[in-house]
Formats: sequence, C-alpha cells, structure tokens
Amino acid sequence: MHVLIQGLIMGVLTGGVYALMASGQTLIFGVMKVVNLAQGAFVIASAYLTFSLFTQFGIDPFVSILITTPLMFGIGMLAHWVFLRPLRKEDAVELSILVTFALALLVEGLLSVTYRTTYRSINNTYSNKAFLLGDGFSIPYVRLYGFFISIALLLVLYFVLQKTKFGRAIRATVQNPQSATLLGVDSTRVKAYGFGLGIATSAASGSIFGLLYPFNSGSHYDLISRLLSVVILGGLGSIGGAVFAGILIGVVSSVAAVVWSPTWSEMTFFIVLLLVLLFRPQGMFGRLERGAA
Amino acid sequence: MKDNRLLSRHFKPISLVAGACAAALALTVTGATSSVAAAKPLVIGVSLSLTGDFADPGNAVKKGYQLWVTHVNAKGGILGRKVTLKIVDDLSSPTQVVTNYTNLITRDKVDLVVGPFSSLLTVPASQVANRYKYAFIESAGGGPKVFAQNLTNLFFVQPGPIVKQGDVFADYILSLPAAQRPKTAAYPSLDDPFAQPVADTVRVRFEKAGITTVYNEIYPAETPDLTPIMAAVAATKPDVIVSGTQSLDAYQQVKALIQLKYNPKFLYMSNGANSPSEFPSKVGAANVNGIFSSGDWFTTSTAPGSQTFVKEYLAKFGGTAALIDNSSAEAYAAGQLIELIAQRTGKIDNATIIKSLHSGTWPTLLGTLSWDKYGVPQSQYLLVQWQNGALKSVFPTAVAQAKPILAKPVWP
Amino acid sequence: MKLSTEPTKLVTRNGLIRGGVFIALLAALPGIFPQHWLWNLMFFTILYATMAVSWNYIGGFGGYPSLGHAAFFGIGAYTEALFFKTDHVLHSGYEPFFMLPVIGLICALLAIPIGMVAMRTRADVFAIVTITLLFVTQTLAFNLRNLTGGAQGAAVVQPKFDVKFFELPFYYTAAIMLLFAFALSYYYSKSKIGLSLTAIRADEDKAKGVGVRTLQVKVIAFSTSVAFTGMAGATWAFYIGFIYPQFAVDPLITITMVLMTFLGGRATLWGPVLGAVILMPAQQLLAYYVGGSQLYLLAYAAIFLITILLLPRGILPTVTNKRRLKALALKSVAAKASDPLAEGQSA
Repeated sequence: MHVLIQGLIMGVLTGGVYALMASGQTLIFGVMKVVNLAQGAFVIASAYLTFSLFTQFGIDPFVSILITTPLMFGIGMLAHWVFLRPLRKEDAVELSILVTFALALLVEGLLSVTYRTTYRSINNTYSNKAFLLGDGFSIPYVRLYGFFISIALLLVLYFVLQKTKFGRAIRATVQNPQSATLLGVDSTRVKAYGFGLGIATSAASGSIFGLLYPFNSGSHYDLISRLLSVVILGGLGSIGGAVFAGILIGVVSSVAAVVWSPTWSEMTFFIVLLLVLLFRPQGMFGRLERGAA
Repeated sequence: MKDNRLLSRHFKPISLVAGACAAALALTVTGATSSVAAAKPLVIGVSLSLTGDFADPGNAVKKGYQLWVTHVNAKGGILGRKVTLKIVDDLSSPTQVVTNYTNLITRDKVDLVVGPFSSLLTVPASQVANRYKYAFIESAGGGPKVFAQNLTNLFFVQPGPIVKQGDVFADYILSLPAAQRPKTAAYPSLDDPFAQPVADTVRVRFEKAGITTVYNEIYPAETPDLTPIMAAVAATKPDVIVSGTQSLDAYQQVKALIQLKYNPKFLYMSNGANSPSEFPSKVGAANVNGIFSSGDWFTTSTAPGSQTFVKEYLAKFGGTAALIDNSSAEAYAAGQLIELIAQRTGKIDNATIIKSLHSGTWPTLLGTLSWDKYGVPQSQYLLVQWQNGALKSVFPTAVAQAKPILAKPVWP
Repeated sequence: MKLSTEPTKLVTRNGLIRGGVFIALLAALPGIFPQHWLWNLMFFTILYATMAVSWNYIGGFGGYPSLGHAAFFGIGAYTEALFFKTDHVLHSGYEPFFMLPVIGLICALLAIPIGMVAMRTRADVFAIVTITLLFVTQTLAFNLRNLTGGAQGAAVVQPKFDVKFFELPFYYTAAIMLLFAFALSYYYSKSKIGLSLTAIRADEDKAKGVGVRTLQVKVIAFSTSVAFTGMAGATWAFYIGFIYPQFAVDPLITITMVLMTFLGGRATLWGPVLGAVILMPAQQLLAYYVGGSQLYLLAYAAIFLITILLLPRGILPTVTNKRRLKALALKSVAAKASDPLAEGQSA
C-alpha cells in the first residue's frame, strides 16, 4: 500500500510535466491540424539551453524558463514560417507529419553537433533533495516545483486562450477555420502565433525535464510516443484533455510499474489507448471532426 | 566492459540513408597497393559506431586501436609490415554492419578484421567474418547469444563472458563471515542482453547461499523514470541491491535512491558505475562512495603493457589517467594479441590467429587471457568500489588496490 | 477526378517491353557485376525497393501515410525466426524462402482487423495509430520472451549456401518479390481499386458520396502492402541471421520506405523503385566511405526537408511534368510556325 501511494505521488507529479508538454502539441494540432512530431525535440533543445545557461552563467534552471520561453516562441514562429507555411494546402496534413519529423531530426542533428551525444544532467544544489511527508513518503523538491510550475503555466495558457483577443482568434480558428476567416481573423498569423505558443510550452517542460532526467540529443524519440499517446487520449486539440490524459498516464505507468511489472506498464497504457481509439476515435475530450467515421 | 546500449528501443538514431550526403572525412586510408609482399602494409578493418548514440564509446574504442597502431609501427610494425587501420562507420545498424564487413573483406580485401562496436552488432558481423574464414577478435560483445553461435573464429577480449561479470561480487559477498552477509537482496535490471544476465547469475548464487530475494524485476530500456521502480525496491528494504545496468539507467537508479532516501548496505551495479568520469559527473561526485561495480582494467594496473599504454595515451590524447575509458584499453588489448601471435609464430594470417588463440595463455593489459573453442574467455573480472571519490579495485585480494568498505556510507 | 472513366487497358505493347527490360535487368545484374560486396548492396537495394513499392499502395495512391509498416517487417522477421530456429535442419537450404508466401499471408490477414480499426479515422490519426502499433509490436517483441527471446535476441538458422554465391539466393528472392509487388502496383494503377484510392486521397467524403467502398478499398491496399513488408522482413532476418527487437521493429525502416517513395515520386509506378535505387546505395556507400561525421543527421534532415519543400511530388513526376511542358511548348511553337492563324485560335 505504501508503495502504491508513493507511486501515485510520483505519477501525479511527473504527469503534470507531461501535461505541459502535451498541451503545446495539442494546441498546435487544434490550430493547424498539424501533428507536431518535433515537440519532443524542442523539449530536449530547451533542456540543453537550460543546461548551458546553468553551467555557463549559473542561472537557476527554473529562472532560465523566463529566458527560454520567449526564445522558443521565436524559434517556433521561424520554424512555421520556413517549413510549414510553404506546404501546399491539399496535402498539408499528410506532409506536415513528415516535415515535423524531419524538423525533429534537424534539431537532434544540431544538438549532437553542438553538444555531442554524451548524456548531460543538471545537478544543482537541490536536484537530488527530497523531504519526507507523512508516513515516510518521499517528495523530491524538483518534482514538486516542476509540478507547480507546470500547473501555473497551464493556467497562464488557459488565461491567454480564454481572455485575450489573440486567444479568441485561436479558439475561433480551432472551432471553425472558415468562419474565423470570414470574421476577419488572419489565419496565417494565427497559425504562426499558435505554433510559436505551442513550441513555447516546451521551454518550461524542457527545463524541468533536464532537472529530472539525464538526457542526450536522442532523448526526444521516447517523448514522441508518449506525447502522441497523451494527445490522442485527451482528444486531439483539447488542452483540458491533454492535462487530464497527461496526469492519468503519469499515474497509470507509475503505478503499473510498481504494483505489476515495469516491462508491461507501458503496454497497459497502449491498450487503454487502443480501446479509446476503438470506441471513441475522437479521444476522451475531443470533438468529432469532419471526415471521421 | 562497457556496452553502452544507450539507444532507446523505439527509435535508433536515424542513420540509414543518413550517410547519404554526409560530407565528412574519410577516417584512415588503406595502402594496399604495394606489390612487394614484405613491404605490403598489414591492413586491419574495423566497423565502429562513430555517429549517433554510440559515438562517444565508439570513439574510445577507436582511440585504443589508433594508439596500438602507433605503438606497433614505432617498433617497426608486425613482421616488418607497417600496420594500417581501415575504420568505417556502421551507424549502429545491423544492415550497415553486414555491408561494412562484406565490403572490408571482399572489396578492400583487408588482411584482418576486428570486431565492431556496439556489441548488438557483434553477431551479424561475426557471421560474415566466419563465412570468409576470417578470425574475429572482438572486445565489445560478450553476451550468451554471441557464444551460442558456436563460431570457432571468434575471440572475446575481456576476462570472461559478460554473465560472469557479477561473479566477482558474489565471490566477495560469500567470502564474508555469515554475520556480515546481507540477508535480503533486490535485483532491478535493465532488459538488455548484457545487463540482465549479470544480475541473474548473482541472484542464482545468492539464493543458493540463503540470501532471500525480495525484489526481482526487469525494466525496459526506454523507461524514462526509474523512481517508481526504485520506490518499489526501497519498500522491500533489501540489504543488498544488485543492479544489472548499462549506463543511463545506473545514473537514474542512484538519483532515485538518493531522492527516496534509501541507503542499502551494499549496492552493486554491473555497468555505468565503473565509468571513471561519467558516473560522478552524472550522479554527483559526493554520492558515489561505497558503490561496487566490475572492471577488467584500471589505470594503476601492472598487467603487461598497461603502464606503457597509459603513458602513450596521455602523450597522444592528453587528459588524466583516471579518465581513460576501459573500452580504449580493451581495443588496445586486441591489438596486443595480434602482435603477440606474430611474435610467437612468425606468421600473421587468419588461420594462424584462429589456431594460436585456441591454445596457450596470452598476457595482455587486461591480464592473462585464454579461450575455449567458442571464444569464451576463461579469466575473472575485478571487483571495483568507489572510495573517497576514486574507483579502486578491491577484490580478489591478490590484485586489490584497497580493502573493500563494508557498509555503504549513507547518502550525503 | 475521373471517377467515371473506365479502368485503362491493362496490357499495352510499351508496358510489355518496359516490363521485359526490367525483368531482364534484374536477372542479369549479378552476372554483370560479379562481386560479393555489390551483390550485398543489390540485395538490400532491391529489398527496400520492394518495400517502397508496396508502401506506395496505401501511402502513395491512398494518401494514408502509414508509419507502422516496420511492425510488419518485424512480424515477418520474427515469424521466420520462429519457423527456422538454429536447430532446424535445412535440406535444400531454400526452405526459409518457401515460407515467405505463408508469412505474407499471415501479415495480410493480421492487417485486416488492424486496418479496419485504424482506417475508420482520418489520415493523420491513422499515421499516429500506426506509429502506436509499431510501439506495441516492439514492446511485445521485448516482452514475449518465450516466443521472441526478448532483449536477448533471436537467432535464425544459418544459411548453408556456398560462400561463392552466398548472396545470390537472397538477391533473386528479393527480385522476385519486387516483380510481384510491382505487378500489383501496376494492376492497382490501372484498375478500379487504383481509381478508388486516388479518389479517397483527393476527398474521402466525396468518394464515399459517389459510391466508392472506401473502407474496403483502404483495407485491401493496406493488407497487400504489409504482406510484402512482412516478407521483406523475413528475408532480411534470414540474411542477417540474428534479430533484436529494436532492429527488427525499427521506425527507421518505415522512414526509409517513406523517404524513398517521396523522393522518387509517390503515387507513381516507378517512383519508389527510383527512390530506392538512389537512396540505398548512396546511404550504404557513403556511410562506408565518409561516415564518422556528426553532420550526418543534419544531412539526412536536409534531404528530407528539401524533397518535401522543393520536390513535393518527387523526382519522377517533376521530371515528366517538365518534359511534358517542354513538349507542349515545342508543339505550340511548331504549330505557330506552320499556321499564322494559330495564335488567335490558341488564345
């Protein structure tokens, strides 16, 4: 029982970070119907940036989020402008999967040239510290901070989407691109900003990822499958769904690893995913899109 | 020793096609043009993973071979023939490794080949070499399936097969008086042909000696977070944790144990913890003390050629002796063998190498080696332990630099 | 969209000639270049060409980009390893090849339920579902230890071919598979199935509206496509001799097929073959000669991005389009020269 609760705690804390990563990816899908396979690569890029800022200038990994976020936003806008905007409309969806995959390779390639492929890890004064709660449950500080920062950023994202004019334009585009354009929304600009915003979420999650785990340029491959699963489970395009699915997946894989078997824990999770696709192809919180059966 | 299968199992570094326009340097060139047999250089072909996730350990192997070539050529080469290396990149792909050895043997007609890095590519590569009756001296792949092929041209250049790596730890624990021995043991292991069998061999011996198994699970290579697994380990409160690890997962296990504030009496990790530079930099230098691992070579070794190797290494590549990777020493040892065969037999060709290594004993910087008919080495590994921030050999006593510290110091 | 058009004639004189030359070339190549290392290269090239041609059925003609074909490559490889363990006694030595049709059939049958679930959704979700399928297959390959050997890997029986001709049985097997895959591709391109797939790719809702049995057509294309991928996997396993889950079920395999198809020209007959013939030797030889650079990933990403952004339709369609335009231009110039009134007419 003790193990179960400990697993549960770890699962929730980790899940919060996955939720933040996936929220960016699902936002990008919502706005542009692009399955962004490069999301994980940008998370790792942010982790490296955080690593450099910490080792070169001694900037605390959490503080560096303030620097990396606008930077990743800019990179996201640029990537959209160079690689995604030129795609021909009729096969943009199909090609964007390949383009974002190639983009992921490009980022990985740049990172391996810059940083080589040795594993890096950010070891600061509190990265291994933890406190004990209640009946001996260990709560690592990094995970706790990471979780709260993720939740805080998700709230900011929610606020931006709900309360600002830009957010309304994005939501209008998500719901119905044609009528949004008719209502005077500049869809190209919205898409560029949407993509930038989606990539920007990777900045914070990258900093936290770098504190939690050793990483190298190839670490993004594992994130691809995880994030895709979170995004589909939550329903493509639904940020609330991504948050819920992120935490759910954190908990399920953590608890399954503890009480059952680590090798099968990932499988449980794919089985859930397949069942969802079988009975609710639009995901738990997704709406049925045109063209779906 | 090191077999850093750092690759995620889902995706390997994109490598095929990749070479497709890699603008780069050809590594070393052959010179197989001369017509005079005596002056013809001896060309040794090898395929290494020089790009992608294996790049760093692959480069360590490359350094070992290059160092040996410089060393042997300074002494006038082998039987008067200058030695040259032909190093090609296999991009960590079995398809490419088959192509590389086929090309080395049938296109470039190299005189000898040595085994690839990484170890997962050893089996397909050894079959190509076997087909063309080439001797296959390799320093990376020592898993059970490599020897199960029953190839008579293969020789693994480490003290023993990988499964024996943990034996030295079991020997040490079982040499302790009963009161000091652990009562309960946990075995969290990576699902990997070169990690999990190590923990398993130790487990069988411990169980026979009456040490209760309280946790025994395998985790997959792509597990991003080992904290839940280590939480389950900690909950069973084992006296000893025997971890079948590679590298990344070893760092993660230690980090998780620190965060969970669980300090076992003994902690043994098959790999990862034996890296002199990487391990302290990943888990924090203050956290390494008391952790056991296995090794086949250490910088102060007095085995034949060891100190020359260290001197040459530092002269050529710089750095400090403590940072020399075992993989470099193992590659160098493979070279030493070739040199020794030429010395003893006065010949150097594949049939001679195969015949020679199947009998007799062969002193190298890894100690004295010998093989059975399928290339399984017959010596023993060393038990190493971190003491005051340095890696020391502690068992068997005959070759120990220091006495083992009994109970592991608590995490700082 | 020419939905109403009848399928074009299946056998033409030009087609027969081209087919004959293709077969003759495949048969004669090893004799023209009698060297082991070239045979090895030809084998891999033809094997990948088979996969690219068959990926094109669903990914090219149908516009459903499967990222999970590697799952079937792995299933094929492991089935071969299960049938032919190391203790299996080979008589003629060719038995592992005779098993290929059975393996193809197994993969095709497996693909039917999978396709029916995965293709209910849209093309982008299909891509994600197939990638998930790949992970599931790989996890199974790792975890079903009794069947697959797990992370320890599985050995396949050693081929007993004479070392002098070692690569040839593999090469000719791959060549025969390529011919079958190509013939089917040709059939699809000329038949109602091909038209239906094109219609689905253009606008699935509309296709359904005019009476195309979309699900059925998609499942047929998917299932025949993965049958060839499975057979290729089995042949590969026999050749390599030892398989690990991460190499047998490797997304890279899919990515290579996709890139070959895109480079040569998707939804064309010869495009995937062209892509394979360019990419495979280039990659293998350059890795051999100039590998060892950290720049290779960047180079790879660059080819990929350039192909998609600058040659979105691939080499073949771009070239033929240019030729056609040139021919048209020549024709109009000629017409102008012979008939001064043509200008007015053509305007």
